[in-house]
Amino acid sequence: MKISHNSRGLLSRSYRTISSEEISIGRGAECTIHLLDPRLAMHHAVIKKLDDGQLYLVAINGELSVDGAQLQNVELTHGKTVNIGPYQLKVEPAPPDVNLAVSLSLQQRLPDDFQDLKLRTHEPLRGAASFKRQFSLWMVALIALIFLVLPLAQNLIPAVHKAMAELPLGFDRVWSPGHISNSHLHFGAQCFNCHEVLTRKVADKACIKCHRDTPPHIADPALQKRVFKTTSLFSDGIRCAECHREHKAPHPIARQDNATCVKCHANIKAADANTKLPNIHDFDLDHPDFDLTFRTGSTEGGAAQKTERIPQAETARLIEKSGLKFPHSQHVGLVQGPNGIWDVRELSCTNCHQQEGKELRLKPIVYQRDCQLCHANQLQLGSKNNTFSVPHGAEQNVLNALKAQAPKDLARHLDTLKTTGCAYCHEVQTAQKDEALPWRITPVQINQDWFSKAHFNHASHRTQQCQSCHKVEHSESSADVAMPDRKSCLRCHSGNKPKYKRITSTCMSCHDFHSSHIPQETIKKIDGKKLNDTAPD
Amino acid sequence: MQHSNIFDYKRYRYFKLAVIIILIAFAAYLLFEPAVGHYGGSWLGYALGTASALLVFILAWYGVRKRRYRSRGTTQGWLSAHIYLGTALTFLATFHSGLHFGLNVHTVTYGLLLVVVVSGFFGNYAYMIYPRLMTENMGEENLDGLLLRIAESDKMARQIALLMPDDINDTVARACRETSIGVSLLEQLKGFQPDCPSAMAVQKLTSLGNDLSVEHRKLYRDLYSIMVRRESLVRRARQDLMYRARMGFWLYFHVPFSIALLMAMIAHVLAVFFYW
Repeated sequence: MKISHNSRGLLSRSYRTISSEEISIGRGAECTIHLLDPRLAMHHAVIKKLDDGQLYLVAINGELSVDGAQLQNVELTHGKTVNIGPYQLKVEPAPPDVNLAVSLSLQQRLPDDFQDLKLRTHEPLRGAASFKRQFSLWMVALIALIFLVLPLAQNLIPAVHKAMAELPLGFDRVWSPGHISNSHLHFGAQCFNCHEVLTRKVADKACIKCHRDTPPHIADPALQKRVFKTTSLFSDGIRCAECHREHKAPHPIARQDNATCVKCHANIKAADANTKLPNIHDFDLDHPDFDLTFRTGSTEGGAAQKTERIPQAETARLIEKSGLKFPHSQHVGLVQGPNGIWDVRELSCTNCHQQEGKELRLKPIVYQRDCQLCHANQLQLGSKNNTFSVPHGAEQNVLNALKAQAPKDLARHLDTLKTTGCAYCHEVQTAQKDEALPWRITPVQINQDWFSKAHFNHASHRTQQCQSCHKVEHSESSADVAMPDRKSCLRCHSGNKPKYKRITSTCMSCHDFHSSHIPQETIKKIDGKKLNDTAPD
Repeated sequence: MQHSNIFDYKRYRYFKLAVIIILIAFAAYLLFEPAVGHYGGSWLGYALGTASALLVFILAWYGVRKRRYRSRGTTQGWLSAHIYLGTALTFLATFHSGLHFGLNVHTVTYGLLLVVVVSGFFGNYAYMIYPRLMTENMGEENLDGLLLRIAESDKMARQIALLMPDDINDTVARACRETSIGVSLLEQLKGFQPDCPSAMAVQKLTSLGNDLSVEHRKLYRDLYSIMVRRESLVRRARQDLMYRARMGFWLYFHVPFSIALLMAMIAHVLAVFFYW
């Protein structure tokens, strides 16, 4: 019996009686029960009597299953159902003249090819819209959290701020716009160390927490305050951070260009109507000629030097009163030594001007180190057979030595010293009435710091010959001043902009902003000392 | 009317605009270098940043504009501007950055911008290349037509295979039953399935065809040619799916990263003014 569905979907049965010893089932045309279905084997199974005399369904090339179990042989007893591929075989009650009655029904229809294939063909990028929406939302949430909510929470919620302050990094570290300079790196990962108030620019007091000893630009505190704290709609005064630009490493933290200097110095009267300073834009363009600083003596008690600054253009006033008679021309190149006409020596500048420090500053001239080698015999007195020397130094010491060595010829020797000995190098003055000596040496006052408002580094110029700036070969008098003028600087240096074969030189190349009113010599002396009294407020 | 596309829209109007913007920005970048080097906070940096932010908003507005039927200008014009100004934006943002990068919101914003632009370039490429390749691949057919033809081949192949030995029948049945097209995303993008049942069936059939009886030979030849044709149809269907997937896949990046860029840009601008 074959059970199938008709075109209306109703069950229909067809009956067939087969007389055979074996009944084969399969796709093959030669099979007794020929079922055209690709899911069956050519010779799928066979119904036959086995040795025990019972009828069995035996699998040949196909598979048989009963209740999901794969079997090779199935005994066909009444009511048994066996799955043969997509067909179900059921043993029916047999009529009296028949050995076995079975029904075959197709359980799993062959699927519609097209629909089936469509199910296995996916649309391109299924669920793209929802994926994009979800992905966007997650990214927005993540970015807002990391880059906005957490840093803001650290700033606005004191508890979070306190908790984060203990950690090496703050949430707001993600706002840092660039590398922090090495010197600030050790506290720079916590932004609040400098950025004290949200939406406000970094104030000077954040810098002064550490930099307490930084001197102000202007000596007068009232003027300093007025000029630097002038605020406008777009500016809240000139802050440290205007020149010291953080987050720009490896660029130097201090600005090296003229722009900020020129803001005031291009129209300096606007900052201070009473100033004597001229307007300056650029060293090459409109920098005034240099003023030279001359010592004019010392204050009472000798605590500080009195100085006077004289423009280089006023050549008539450029006279150094050092108290020495020193012709540079006789101390450069091949010169006559002290031991006769065959004693010829070659002198260079550094034979007398000794350099020290990494900036190669010149040490003050000292007789014992710099003069004695050639000029010892100026202090020798007595006859050929009985010579003696007097010490170099204070006049009283010389007098004491003379009294000890030649008390009888005291007056003659003193006179010798006055005319040829001491006077060979020193200017000699007539003594005051109450002094023991009839004459005295004019106090030596060699200028050490000609450009007191600028900072000159000899080491930076070590590739140059001394004479290329200091014209001393023909100087016959110690009154001559051999300091280079602005024009000679401009031979090698240009202003803020580079020029052909000239070095770009900004304000900061020569001037120090924070100590512009403090002479360089003083800076050397106060190095390491605090300048609290002059710190900007 | 002159035929024009998104690239030469109105005689390269937006291309020229983009070139002018880039040249002006580049000249400014060369001429006005701050003493501490280029950075986003110089006046030039602020100008470039503001221009970039405006461009980002204009470009993002294209996403809104293209979904509207009535609005200012043509969609083609907007797309042309979107492509060229997007390219110009990349230059402006790079100049704005001063080529300073770090682990911060600013570089993240720049990185997101680059992802958006690069994915946009890929989309541009996809829309330039794939429509032609799709037409070459499909001719006048569509995917459903192709699937119908595959289904027909399945039926015919199966009918012939019914008369063939079991191993051939099994091979054919398996190929018909198991062939799938573009099930996973990766497969869609690759347009290729390494262990495709259809291709394997053809291979297997080749080896199975050697020792057949005489009556099976003719059937085998028919079956083989059907299966080979079927395999090429399957391959074409996969290609078609690949092109369509690739033409849409770049938007997985372009759209979400654009939205993320807008958020990051807001955070970037706010961060700058929170900490001066």
